[in-house]
Amino acid sequence: LSSHYCQSRNAILVSHRQKGNPLLKHIRNVRWNLVDIVCDYLLGQNSCALYLSLRYHLLHPDYLYYRIRELQKNFKLRVVLCHVDVEDVVKPLLEVTRTALFHDCTLLCGWSLEECGRYLETIKVYENKPADIIQGQMDTDYMYLLNHALTAVRRVNKTDVVTLGSTFGSLANIMDASMEDLARCPGIGERKVKRLYDTFHDPFKRVT
Amino acid sequence: MVEFHEQIISDLIEDPNGGLVILSSGLCLHKLISSLLQLHSPSQGSLLILSSSPPLKSSILRSLQNPNPNPNFHSEITSDLSATQRLSLYTSGGVLFITARILIVDLLTSRLPTTSLSGLLILNSHSLTETSTEAFIARLLRTLNPKAYIRAFSDKPVSFLSGFAKAERLLKCLYLRKLHLWPRFQVYVSQELEKNPPEVVDIRVPMTAMMKGIQTAIIEVMDACLKEMRKTNKVDVEDLTVEKGLFKSFDEIVRRQLDPIWHTLGKKTKQLVSDLRTLRKLLDYLIRYDAVSYLKYLETLRVSESFRSVWIFAESSHKIFEYAKKRVYQVGRVDGGKLDGQNKNVMIKKRKLKDKNKKEDSLPTTTNGQVVLQEVLEEAPKWKVLHEVLEEIEEERQKQASLGEQFLDEDDSGIVLVACKDERSCMQLEDFIANGPKKVMQDEWEKYLLSKVELQALPKRKKNKPKDPKGFGVLDGVVHIAPAQTTEHSSASKPEHDALLAAAKEIRKLAKKGDLEDGPQPQVVGGEHGKGRRKWKLQKTAASADIFLKEDDVNENMVTKSDESIVSVSVSENEIQKTEIEQAVNGGLHKDAHGSSSINRAVLRKHNEGVESTLMENAKPVPPVHFYALESDQHILDLMNPTVVIVYHADMTFVREIEIYKAENPSKKLKVYFLFYEDSTEVQKFEASIRRENGAFETLIRQKSLMMLPVDQDGHGLGLNSSVELQATSSQNLVTRKAGGRKETEKEMQVIVDMREFMSSLPNVLHQKGMRVIPVTLEVGDYILSPSICVERKSIQDLFLSFTSGRLYHQVETMSRYYRIPVLLIEFSQEKSFSFQSASEIGDDVTPNSIISKLSLLALHFPRLRIIWSRSLHATAEIFASLKSNQDEPDEAKAIRVGVPSEEGVVENDVRAENYNTSAVEFLRRLPGVTDSNYRALMDGCNSLAELALLPIERLAELMGGQKTARTLRDFLDAKYPTVL
Repeated sequence: LSSHYCQSRNAILVSHRQKGNPLLKHIRNVRWNLVDIVCDYLLGQNSCALYLSLRYHLLHPDYLYYRIRELQKNFKLRVVLCHVDVEDVVKPLLEVTRTALFHDCTLLCGWSLEECGRYLETIKVYENKPADIIQGQMDTDYMYLLNHALTAVRRVNKTDVVTLGSTFGSLANIMDASMEDLARCPGIGERKVKRLYDTFHDPFKRVT
Repeated sequence: MVEFHEQIISDLIEDPNGGLVILSSGLCLHKLISSLLQLHSPSQGSLLILSSSPPLKSSILRSLQNPNPNPNFHSEITSDLSATQRLSLYTSGGVLFITARILIVDLLTSRLPTTSLSGLLILNSHSLTETSTEAFIARLLRTLNPKAYIRAFSDKPVSFLSGFAKAERLLKCLYLRKLHLWPRFQVYVSQELEKNPPEVVDIRVPMTAMMKGIQTAIIEVMDACLKEMRKTNKVDVEDLTVEKGLFKSFDEIVRRQLDPIWHTLGKKTKQLVSDLRTLRKLLDYLIRYDAVSYLKYLETLRVSESFRSVWIFAESSHKIFEYAKKRVYQVGRVDGGKLDGQNKNVMIKKRKLKDKNKKEDSLPTTTNGQVVLQEVLEEAPKWKVLHEVLEEIEEERQKQASLGEQFLDEDDSGIVLVACKDERSCMQLEDFIANGPKKVMQDEWEKYLLSKVELQALPKRKKNKPKDPKGFGVLDGVVHIAPAQTTEHSSASKPEHDALLAAAKEIRKLAKKGDLEDGPQPQVVGGEHGKGRRKWKLQKTAASADIFLKEDDVNENMVTKSDESIVSVSVSENEIQKTEIEQAVNGGLHKDAHGSSSINRAVLRKHNEGVESTLMENAKPVPPVHFYALESDQHILDLMNPTVVIVYHADMTFVREIEIYKAENPSKKLKVYFLFYEDSTEVQKFEASIRRENGAFETLIRQKSLMMLPVDQDGHGLGLNSSVELQATSSQNLVTRKAGGRKETEKEMQVIVDMREFMSSLPNVLHQKGMRVIPVTLEVGDYILSPSICVERKSIQDLFLSFTSGRLYHQVETMSRYYRIPVLLIEFSQEKSFSFQSASEIGDDVTPNSIISKLSLLALHFPRLRIIWSRSLHATAEIFASLKSNQDEPDEAKAIRVGVPSEEGVVENDVRAENYNTSAVEFLRRLPGVTDSNYRALMDGCNSLAELALLPIERLAELMGGQKTARTLRDFLDAKYPTVL
């Protein structure tokens, strides 16, 4: 196994079982090689994936369980990549969810082969990526940040942000604006005015 | 109290179980409720009132206090009260306002002795569904105390049309059998309201040519968009009419049809949906806003929507912009002194803004010496009419006064009430009455010029995206694409733009200087606003005038009445034009005289002019006026006691309120003026709203006759035990099947649920499934299924938001710290599609913004995290049940302690969402520099966001624990919104 891995550190290793899976067509951003492995896709040193089509699961409800058991405890991240290709999903998905959850697998769902392929690619590409894009570090562009902050107030949209910005000049001024001044802005109706005003002027904690 | 209210109440009280009352909007639901409350006596037990909106609540309280004040009669149950305080209120026998969230929690934790309740009133019942918390409450109440009644109310019949047999389903989930329908056309109602109708004057004000042009253009674009929608074959064609498009509910219709397939739609269709919304707003604002604000709004739209919108590129929308601009200013050349035509119908005051004396001034304006801005500043036609109406009222009054005081009733308050749609119009009209139209327009114009400068400086959106609005279908071909430049002023040339900027700069300069060197140069613009001459068709009709129609035949009535009863003059179009041309000429002469005045003087002078505006000078006195914003929903007729009501913006609900007000005070004289724009969508919309409501009632009446309600609706047949037993046996069966006959205890399943989750419907559905729902305040997770399984639930929208904010990462981190099996539940909505995106939307590359990337990264960083993908609420409940089947029950006391920083003694024992101004907290956390570790300190350090905005950097540094983050925050707060000056 490790020899395979060294051979092609930057490729997804694909089990021979998956040969002929049309999903492979959609793995384009990363190279992939067919090899002999227990899992379906080897995505990194500690991560692997099993592919499961819900339609197949309906025919062979025990298949997933046996495949997971084969994996033993070799991987940190074990993905069950579920292709949602049936209409009536509730029951089969419940079974798959249950099996994955109690056997230490992370369930990911894709609704098309493209989407499933993209999950495999992404997990490979992001193998060593830090988590900052999901930790809330954001764009530092002023307009972006201003939009982001003001749209925390329900129903405030981008047009309103432009209106507020050009009317009051700075965020501090917007936050300190009177109800009347807010109401004078075109496009900002009674309720929005009240919502904005309350957001800014009601105490953070309502407790008396 | 009106008689039909009594009738409603006695009908309702007949059934001890309660019932659902749907009445026409405007029939004063608040009075009905307060009369009902008067009947309540403490000996029956407490009466709870649920889901009341704040305005409705305050109106109810006001009308309760009205005849005989009784301050201790009612109170409100909030989360600030301790459990014991709540208990004493519950048993007090009074009338209690309460939120669904508190009530459900107190019911579930048995803190509310249900036997002490006499019943429950549910207001706004049109917003309920089977899964909402109110339904949950009704179910619990029915099982715990079958004797309590449930009375539900709604005055929004139209919203009962959405979905299949909504009224019937609502009755079922509230366990009610009786549906009471009270349309305006009901015999009792119409008889009573039409016995003593008020005197009505219907005034049709012609729109200006430009306004008409804009209206036509908007409707054309709307029509084009609708045709495009039809072509997509995704929506029911029947619903796609311009008339329906005038209403907000149109969005709902479309969304309801499109939601299930939303992900399969192309960008184009989605854009059409939002464009239609924008267009509807534009129609509405055309009537409500003055010319300058309207133009400003349009331009803001253009900046903020620019590339995405389709409508902006249609030919007709080009006209919208063109006309809107022409209502405000025009551009001409200095040398020729001529205008570029087309404006003969418009009042024009030409004035040169170019300053020849100030050549040495190095402002960029001097570079384009040719361009002249001519202010048009078209006033809203209704303004003048309003003023004339007021004059007329005052005149009549004085006549009466001179005839002798004895004619004045004592209940004649003499108050004139003007009802507008929104607060903004109120303020503007007030300003207009006080200072005259010129001043108002001038102020708006100055504000416009200033903001123009700021808009201009906005960073243009990515220009390398020209693939977009390649126009299609009907909207095709007309596109004058050069999208890169169209962001700003497709129609405005560069010099014109510079002229605007120059004018703006001057104004700003002046504002800074603050002192006025030039004295005012009053000028007389000869008699333009004349003698109160009528320029509209005035229709005075006796008795039931056409607004107060018998509602089923709106149209015919409208037509016939207006034909037979035109009382007053209608000046022909020509005549109007003549005066206007005269004015134009006057203005023109004037322009020559002052041709060389500088920009700043021009601006200044006009400013002063406004104050001593001609209108004010030759105007007759005007009575004191009160303004009322319909949006504020305050029901002020009883408070104000007006003798004259001027309906500046028509609204069906308000018209009905006037009728009731009159019916309650039959002896009182009441005169109502309606100001409609002739041939406008305003009229169309008003009439359509009546038709729509009538249609809704007809449907409801039909549905009522076909309803199938189970006999045990009264709840006697369904005790708590029976339902639980049923569940227990079925789940036992499940267990025997699944776990090979392992012996299962008789105990019911338990789920610990965070208080905040009671905003959602999942707790209700879990309870329906037979699980015991235990509400507590959780620091970690939303649902605790077993000692090892902790679930964080995210709806799709939440998922995206909390990925962006980083909150999800944080939540998963803490869950993984405390629980063996941390679970992220991604819950899709039954009505929407079950997927994130269509295959075509996935794109070619791995991009960091894609949800796929975010989920993958989350999985990589938290390999122990388990993910549940749920189709719907009900699917979630099934999954929960299945996961719990071989697990121990969770421990409530343990779950509460998890993650609470108890060591430092700062146990927050009441972290309930309702104690927080949630949107303020959210807002705070989105500010740069604010992090998970310092936001609590910030909230402790200042009372509100407004206060935060004023904190000096030193104090911020103290609170945030660092200079750098404090600087980041302070800089962001103070950053100047992008501008060129």
